[in-house]
Amino acid sequence: MPESPSTLSIEEFIQEVFEENFELLIAESGHAISPQAKQVALEQVLLYWRKLRDVAESVTDTEVLLTLPAQTTPQGREFTIEGVVDIVREDEHVIMYDIKTHDADYVRENIELYKQQLNVYAHIWQELRRQPLDAMAVIATDFPSEVKSALAHLDPRALDAALERWEPIVPIEYDPAHKDRTIYAFGEIVDKIQNGEFPPPPLEVLQTPIKGGWRQERFGTRVCRNCDARFSCDSYRQYAMGNRRISERGMEYFTEDDSNQEDWRTASLDTMFSE
Amino acid sequence: MNLNDHIRIMTQKMLTMEYLWDLAGFRPNPQQREAILHVDGPLYITAGPGSGKTRVLLWRTLNLIVFHDIKPDEIFLSTFTEKAAKQLTDGLRSLLGLVTNLTGQPFDLSGMYVGTVHSLCRRIISDRRRFFTDRHRQRPPVVLDDLGQYFRLNNVRTWNAMVSYAGLDPDDAAEHINKIFSVDSISRHRAIEHLRPVFNRFSEELLDPVTIRSQLDTYSWDGFSGEQVDLLLTLYEGYRKTLQEGHLTDFALLQQEAFRVLNDFSGSGQVFSHVIVDEYQDTNTIQERIFFELASGTSNLCVVGDDDQALYRFRGATVENFVQFPERCRAYLNMAPRRIGLETNYRSRTDIVDFYTRFMRQIDWHSADRKLVYRVEKKIRAHRQDAFPAVVASMPNKPVQACQEIAVFVRRLLNEGKVDNPNQIAFLYPSLKSVQVERMKNALEAQGLQVYAPRAGRFLDVDEAVDVFGICLLIFGRPSLRGMGRDIEGFREWLNIIEERAESLIYHDPRLGRFVADRRAELQRALSDYQALQRVVARNHWDTKQPYNPEMMKRTLVSAPGLSTSGRKLVSSAYLDRIVIKRIQEGRPFSLDYIIRRATSLDWNVLDLFYRLMGFEHFKAMFDQAERQGDEGPVANLGLITQYLQRFNEERVSIITANLLEENQFQGMFFNSFLFALFRLGESELEDPEDPFPRGRIPFLTIHQAKGLEFPIVVLGNLYKQNRGAPLMERLARPLLPDKSSEPLERMSEFDIMRMFYVALSRAKNLLILPHFKGSPTTSAFKPFLRERITRLSEFDLDSLPTSRMEDDELPKIYSFTSDYLFYKKCPRQYMIFRKYGFVPSRSQTMFFGSLVHRTLEDLHHELIRRRKLSQAQPQSGGDHA
Ligand code: SF4
Repeated sequence: MPESPSTLSIEEFIQEVFEENFELLIAESGHAISPQAKQVALEQVLLYWRKLRDVAESVTDTEVLLTLPAQTTPQGREFTIEGVVDIVREDEHVIMYDIKTHDADYVRENIELYKQQLNVYAHIWQELRRQPLDAMAVIATDFPSEVKSALAHLDPRALDAALERWEPIVPIEYDPAHKDRTIYAFGEIVDKIQNGEFPPPPLEVLQTPIKGGWRQERFGTRVCRNCDARFSCDSYRQYAMGNRRISERGMEYFTEDDSNQEDWRTASLDTMFSE
Repeated sequence: MNLNDHIRIMTQKMLTMEYLWDLAGFRPNPQQREAILHVDGPLYITAGPGSGKTRVLLWRTLNLIVFHDIKPDEIFLSTFTEKAAKQLTDGLRSLLGLVTNLTGQPFDLSGMYVGTVHSLCRRIISDRRRFFTDRHRQRPPVVLDDLGQYFRLNNVRTWNAMVSYAGLDPDDAAEHINKIFSVDSISRHRAIEHLRPVFNRFSEELLDPVTIRSQLDTYSWDGFSGEQVDLLLTLYEGYRKTLQEGHLTDFALLQQEAFRVLNDFSGSGQVFSHVIVDEYQDTNTIQERIFFELASGTSNLCVVGDDDQALYRFRGATVENFVQFPERCRAYLNMAPRRIGLETNYRSRTDIVDFYTRFMRQIDWHSADRKLVYRVEKKIRAHRQDAFPAVVASMPNKPVQACQEIAVFVRRLLNEGKVDNPNQIAFLYPSLKSVQVERMKNALEAQGLQVYAPRAGRFLDVDEAVDVFGICLLIFGRPSLRGMGRDIEGFREWLNIIEERAESLIYHDPRLGRFVADRRAELQRALSDYQALQRVVARNHWDTKQPYNPEMMKRTLVSAPGLSTSGRKLVSSAYLDRIVIKRIQEGRPFSLDYIIRRATSLDWNVLDLFYRLMGFEHFKAMFDQAERQGDEGPVANLGLITQYLQRFNEERVSIITANLLEENQFQGMFFNSFLFALFRLGESELEDPEDPFPRGRIPFLTIHQAKGLEFPIVVLGNLYKQNRGAPLMERLARPLLPDKSSEPLERMSEFDIMRMFYVALSRAKNLLILPHFKGSPTTSAFKPFLRERITRLSEFDLDSLPTSRMEDDELPKIYSFTSDYLFYKKCPRQYMIFRKYGFVPSRSQTMFFGSLVHRTLEDLHHELIRRRKLSQAQPQSGGDHA
C-alpha cells in the first residue's frame, strides 16, 4: 500500500516537504543556495517546530495573503500592497504572526520597521476585512549563536538549554498612526522603482553599525560582504578604502572569509564529484 | 450573528459587477461585457489588436470566482508566456483583494492553474492529489529546455546510442542525416538542428512511428522518400529511448506525458470547471487535445486569440486550431461555441487601423474552390477617431538615403519632445540579420542615437558578451580548435574578436591587466601544485582511488617538493582535517584523488570571476549609468550573461580544479563546448524581452519579439520578406496528418508573411513609419500603398502628432512588503541588480533562503491543520503520530 503522509512523523514530514520546496525553488529561480545555507534553512524550520510547537499547532490560517489595492503613489501611479501573515484564533482571541527569518535581537533593535509593516497588515485585517485582532507579533526564526554552537557540537543537552533560553516571539504594539505614514513611504518607493532610481545607500549608512547586529557589525560588512555586486559599487568601494582589513586584501582577492570559502569548496566538490 | 458579519453579508448581496467596474474605473464595451459575463459552454473570442483582451480575461475570471462560486482551484488558465501569467494573476489578486476588503471573503489563488502550457503540463504530471487515483509517488522526469535538448543530443554517448539504434554508423551518421535535408555537411551540429524540430513536431502531432511505418507506402512526400522518413522515425524512437533511460523529457514530450496522464485518469474532464486559453492561434495539436480533454466534462472551454497574429508555425503551431474552432467544438464537445468579436481597437489612431485592415485585404484568403476561408472575418474599428494621417513613408529612395531621412525625422521627434524617451520608438524587422538593419543603425548612430537589440542576432556578439568572454579568454588561454567548416571558422573569428577586444581593454586599464596576469599565475600555480602532488603519489606507489589516510599521507603530501604555500595550506587545513575525520567515522572516507583535487582547486568559478570583473572601470560605468536613470541596456545584457555562466556552473564546472587545467580541458569545456554551442545556436527567437525597454535607447526588435507590445511610434524597418514556399517541416509533416482542411502548402508562406506584417503594423499607437526603398525588393501587398498618395515624412505635420509620455502598464502592479519595499529600502542598488535585472547571484543568498523557509512553514502549518481536523473528525483514532 502506498504510504499515507499522515504516518510520517512531523519532523520527517518537514524534511520531505523541505526537499520538495528546495527543488521547486531551483526550478523557479534558476539557482540554488549553498548546502550550508540549505542546512540552516532546514534547521530553522525544525527548531521552530521544536521551540514553538504550541504556536504551530494552533495556527488556524497560514500564509494569509493580505492585499491593499487601489493605492496611489505621490506621483499618481496606482499600486497594490501585498503581504503574508499567519493567524492564530483561540477562544475568541486572535493573534497575527509575521514569521521572519531574522534573529530576534535584530527584530527588537529595529522594531520600528516591523511596527510599520504589521500595522499596515492590521489595518487590512481589521478595517478592510473586518476581522477581530487582539495581538500581533513577529516570530524570528533565526536562532541565536548559542543554539548554533550547540548544534555544531551535537550536544543535545546544551541544545535543550539554549532552546529554553531562546525568545523568538517579539510582540508588536498596535498603533494605527503608523499606517498612513507607511503607505505614503511605500508609494514613494514605488515611484522610485518606476522612475529607475537605484543608488546604493551613502557611505555613512555602510559605516553605521547595524542595530541588533552581531558584535556591532556595520552595514558595509554585514550586508555588503554578502553582496556579489559589491565590487562595482561606489559606496562599498569608499567603505573598503577606509577599512583596513578589506583594503589590505584588496578588492581583487577572492577569499575574504576562510571558513566560508572552505564550505563553498566542500559544497562545490560535492556537487561535481558525487563520490 | 454579530454586526460585522451582518454588514459583510449585506455588502455581499449588494456587490455587483457594475459596482466593481466603477471602482476600478473600467467601462467595458458591449462585446467586452458579453464576453466577461459569459459563463456556460464553449466560448470563442476573436480579439483584434489592442482590443482589451487581457482585461476581458481578467474580469471574466473574476466574475466566475466572485459571482458564480467557482473556486480558483477549478480554473485552468493557459497563457502564452510566464510574464502574461504573472500579469494576469497580479491583476486578479488586486481586484480580488478589493472584493475581499468589501465583503470579507478571502480568495486563495495558489491552487489555480495559471501559466504557460508547459508549466501547467509539468504541474499536471506531478499533481498527485488531482490527477492520480493511487497516490503512489512517481518521480516526474526532468524537463530539458531547448538548450538542454541540444546539449543532450550533442553529447557523444547519447548521439551514438541514438544513431546506432537507427542502424547508422556513428562516424558518418551526421552526414547521412544532413543529406535527408539536402545539405552536404558532416557537421553533427547541423544534423542536430535538423532533427530537433522534426522530433518536436512528431511529438506534438502525437505521431506513432510503428503505425506510420506499417502504412509507409500509402504516403507520398514532396522532398522526402519513404526510406528517409522511415529513418527519421527510427531516430526519433532512438531519441526517446535515450531520454527515457536518463529519466528525462523535453518540452514537446512533456505535453504528451501530460496528455497520457489525463487519458489514464478517468475524472480528468471534471477536474476544472473552466478551461481558458489565451493566444489560441499559437497552439499546436497536442495542446488542442489537452484542452478539449480537460473540458470534456463541462464543455466550458473559452479560447481567445487572433488568427491574424499567428506567428509560431515554426514551432508547430497550427492557426487552423483557432480558425476552425467552431468545427472542432462540434467534433469534440458536440456543441457550437458562442462567438464574440472584440473589434474596438483602443490602441491605434484611425489611420493606422485603416491601413492594416486594408493591408490584409490585399490577398485572397479563400481556397481555390472558394469553399473554405482561411481567415476569420472581422471589422476592427479605432476607438481613437481623428482624421489626420498617422502612417507615413520616406521618399522613394536608395536604402541609405531613406534610412537617413527616417533617422533625421526620429531625431526631430525627440528634439521636439513628441516622445519623452528613445525607448518609445520601436524599429521592427522580419529578421534582424538583414543589411537594412545595419544601414538603419548607422543612420541613427550618425544622429547620436543609440540602439538596443535584445538578443538581436547572436547574443555572444553583443558588446558586453564580447567584453566578458574576451577577458575570460585572456585568463584561461585560447582553446585549440580543430576542424573546418563554416561554423568553426565563424567561431574562430569570434575568438579573434573577443581576444582583440580584451587586449584593448587591458591596454586602457592597467589594473585590469594586472588582475588578468594574477589570475593566470594562479592557474599556473594550481597546475604545478597538481603535478607536484602527482609526483609524490607516483613515488609512493599510491593509487589515487584509494582512501585518503591522513596519518600516512598528510605529511608526505604537505612536504611535496615544489608545492606552493597555498597548496600546503589547503592540504593541511584544520577544516579539512575535521571533515576527513568525520567522513572516516561515517565509513565513507575521501579518496586521495579528492584531496588532491581539493588542494589544487581555485577559490572562484566563472561566475565569481564575472562579479570581480564588474569592479573594473569599464564595467562599473555600466552599473553607474543604470543606477541613475541612464542607459540600462548594458546592465540588462550583463544580467543575461550571469544566467549563461550559471548554466555552465551547474551543468559543467562549478569549481575549477587543477586536473581540469591539464591539457586545456577546461578551455575545451568552456569555449569549445559550451560557448561554441551557444554560438551555433545563435539567435533563439526568445520573445518576452523586458518591457519597458531600457531607457535611453531605441529598441530594434524582430516582429516576433514585439508580439503583444505596443509603442507610441513604430518604424517597420523593412517591407520585404521573401516567400520561400512552405517550410520543410510542413512538407514532411503534412502527409502524415489526418486533417485535410488545413491551409494548402502552396499558400501557407504567403499567409504567414501577411500575418507577420500585420503584427508589426498593429503595434503602433500614434505613428507608423515606413521606408520606401527603391532598388530593393518589397512584399507586393505593400506596393499599392506606396504607389497611392501616402503621406511623406517631409510633408508630415508634426503638430498633428499627439505627444506621448511613458506610460506604465495598464494593470496596477503588486508590490510586496518584504521583497519589494523592504528590499529596496535596504539597498536600492542591490534591488535593481538582483530583482529587476535578474542577475544570478554567485555567493549572495538573496530571496531564496526566505522563500524556502516560508514555504516549508506553510506546508507544515497546513499539515498540522489537516491532522487536527482528522483527529477531531475521528477522536477514537488515538490522535496523531507526531
Ligand atoms: S555592496 Fe551591494 S549591498 Fe552594499 S551598498 Fe553596494 S549594492 Fe548595496
